Amino acid sequence: MNLQGDVLVIGAGLAGLTAAWQVAARGGRVRLIAKGWGALYWHAGCIDVLGYYPPLGEAAVSSPAEAVAALIQERPDHPYARVGVAGLDEALRALQALCAQQGYPLHGSLERNWLLPTAVGALRPTCLAPETMIAGDASQPLPTLIVGMKQLLDFYPTLIADNLSRQGIPAEGVALDLPSLRECNFINAALLAKRLEQPQFRAEVVAALRPYRGRAERIGFPAVLGMEQAVAVKAALEKELGRPVFEIPGLPPSVPGMRLHGILTRVIGEKGGRVYDGMQVVRAEEARGRVTAVYSEAAARTRPHRFNRYLLATGGILGGGTATDSTGRVREVIFDLPLAAPNDRGEWFKRDFLDAAGHPIYQAGVRVDGSWRPVNGDGQPVYENVYAAGAMLAHCEVIRERSLEGVALATGYRVAQMLAG
Amino acid sequence: MDTDKVIPIWEVRQPEGVHRGPVELTLDQCIKCNICTTACPVSPVTDLFPGPKYEGPQAGRFRQQKQPSPDYSVDYCSGCRVCNMVCPTGVRIAEINARARAQMVETGKFNGRTRLRNNLLARPETLGKLARPVAPLANTLLNVKVGRWLAEKTLGIAQKASLPRFSGETFSSWVKKRERKARSEERGAGRKVVYFHGCSTQYYEPRVGKAAVQLLEANGFEVIVPPQNCCGLPLLSNGEFAAARKYHASNIRHLIGYVQAGYVIVGTSTSCTLTLKEEAPELLDYYDDEARLLAANTYDFNEFLLGLWDSGELKTEGLRPIPLRLVYHPPCQYRAHRIGRPAVELLELIPELQIIESQVACCGVAGTYGYKREKYQIAMDVGRPLFDLVKESGGPLAVCDSETCRWQISHATGLPSVHPIELLAAAYGLAVEGPLADVMRET
Repeated sequence: MNLQGDVLVIGAGLAGLTAAWQVAARGGRVRLIAKGWGALYWHAGCIDVLGYYPPLGEAAVSSPAEAVAALIQERPDHPYARVGVAGLDEALRALQALCAQQGYPLHGSLERNWLLPTAVGALRPTCLAPETMIAGDASQPLPTLIVGMKQLLDFYPTLIADNLSRQGIPAEGVALDLPSLRECNFINAALLAKRLEQPQFRAEVVAALRPYRGRAERIGFPAVLGMEQAVAVKAALEKELGRPVFEIPGLPPSVPGMRLHGILTRVIGEKGGRVYDGMQVVRAEEARGRVTAVYSEAAARTRPHRFNRYLLATGGILGGGTATDSTGRVREVIFDLPLAAPNDRGEWFKRDFLDAAGHPIYQAGVRVDGSWRPVNGDGQPVYENVYAAGAMLAHCEVIRERSLEGVALATGYRVAQMLAG
Repeated sequence: MDTDKVIPIWEVRQPEGVHRGPVELTLDQCIKCNICTTACPVSPVTDLFPGPKYEGPQAGRFRQQKQPSPDYSVDYCSGCRVCNMVCPTGVRIAEINARARAQMVETGKFNGRTRLRNNLLARPETLGKLARPVAPLANTLLNVKVGRWLAEKTLGIAQKASLPRFSGETFSSWVKKRERKARSEERGAGRKVVYFHGCSTQYYEPRVGKAAVQLLEANGFEVIVPPQNCCGLPLLSNGEFAAARKYHASNIRHLIGYVQAGYVIVGTSTSCTLTLKEEAPELLDYYDDEARLLAANTYDFNEFLLGLWDSGELKTEGLRPIPLRLVYHPPCQYRAHRIGRPAVELLELIPELQIIESQVACCGVAGTYGYKREKYQIAMDVGRPLFDLVKESGGPLAVCDSETCRWQISHATGLPSVHPIELLAAAYGLAVEGPLADVMRET
């Protein structure tokens, strides 16, 4: 029997892609399979490390390094405690180096969170942000113009401007009515991003926008400033408008997330790894405590994948890695691994939708041993050669902590280091 | 590793029970994330198609049995299935669209001329039977300017589209001639496999079938080429479901006996094998025991060879180097098998061959789509990034598993295109014909 490679990664979110990239970069034979494109296409394109700590805190974290250190002290089971601040920092720097090399720098560090406007004009703490977004940082209350386009129905400039104004950032909103878009039946963020790479369309935007610049010292756009050439598109607009320009990520499809997806899948391919989509894993085969194959759904049959080791990066409840049934049981969907989760429906949710303590169901996840292998109730690994990373891990609440990308990146990176080492 | 449990790929298996249920039900799984909209290769190049999410799961809510279809734009879906592949929640958008088109056909939404045109394009077997005996004449007629102008004006077959040339000899006549000299049995080593050639190998490119037969024999298989029909895919993608059902029923009649006798079916046309595996059963709700048994034992050619490699049975020693740098494009219909990129994994076995993998979603032609007057330009625009990649590569030919994609690439770039197994046959030292033979002579 021939093995198809060293490591099979299941899941194409940030954890899975990071892990596949790192295994491939270290010379391992890796294949990544996923049901669809998933997580990064829904993604704001920033790396949140820790936005609120403790999660009930009113104020956003300003220094992730300090807050992560405090969290590690108080919660020794948290994934960050397993990778440590230095491990987290190393993973962030590796991603920054990769993105810079691909002409799409991510700025920031563990020293300080950015505070960036969201698509409803709230302010969002995040650790790393692409060059196309950082001029929007709200730590300086500069007068701001928010620009939308009438034909892009997913972005509301005046809503954003009003909410920013309420938070002390003087802002105005305008929706441009562009003749060339009036001819289109359908517009979405991805189509606009391609259009903005064309100089003639940019000229049309700039001409329409000039009269509205007023006192604004920076101009915010929906996140559509180019797909492959975002930094160049932003620079060209800044030159033509004479103001700093920034992007605000919005509804999916999210162009900044697609850019990250593109960078990561490209580098995996360049390093000799493979990424296959449309492959949903439906079962696994085991012998003597080891997984010998997993099977993905294919036309008229299932297809075996035989690897030495299997890394599960399928996400939590939102990503589809864990699911619930009508009896209240919470389960991991591929290996049926034991989960740290309430198995009584009555305990899934708190009474209040916005309960300060959070809903227990969102903390469901797999517990792992020192080698990142999911364990059973006795703390013993369920399989010798199955590992887990990312949002499916127990003992973290990635949404409320605003730590989703930090946990995915740092754990994906660390597990890959170990698997390839 | 546990080697004992693994069944060799050439042994017949029972259906796995992965029957996926009615396609329309999957529309409830749509979470409106729009990933399909960004992945669709058609909607960015034409305003006539608003994208998979609108056509599939959204418009699907308004389509009811025996009710008129709510729109006509669904006919601009090329059926490439890229939307299905990227959907994170498992909505079978392309199939929803195909069934909507069939409903339009059934309720008379296409005029007689369009249906005549679609039926002409969708019956390569009938065309082949009529034209093959007079191949030189047919080839000339099909390329006479006035004739093509007339075909566009009267029928709506795009004048600029390049129609494939009929071969003077059919594949099956080659097989018969060859068997008179020596039975395939004497060339192979006893294990048997059935080859499904499809219409393109039979009438246009017998060279692909010749490479396939020789490769199988070189790996110790006796190759059986029984009578068979068009798989019916062109009819399915034109909404002509009743006619497609007849073809599928006929193929089951022709082939099921072989499967019951212990032989699997292997095909070189990726869309034919996908049709036998999944498209016909799923679109036509054709799930009887025989249809399922045939589906479970039909393989794409590369998938089969890679299965042999998995069990250590593929002959890989002494492959001859092919010092070329070539673009390989996995057809959208091939990706829809959900088996990865087996062709690339096989081509990696050939010494000195450098493969540039196309990441382009679709070449545009999508079977018969790009031959239609109103869709020709859309098809060319969809494929443009691929054509640029092929031209920029500087290679003497392109590599692609699907015949209509190969013809589209050649039409747009002026470069010949070959099936990946032709390269593998050359590396095995077997006789190859056509453009690859020309290139090999030069290198």
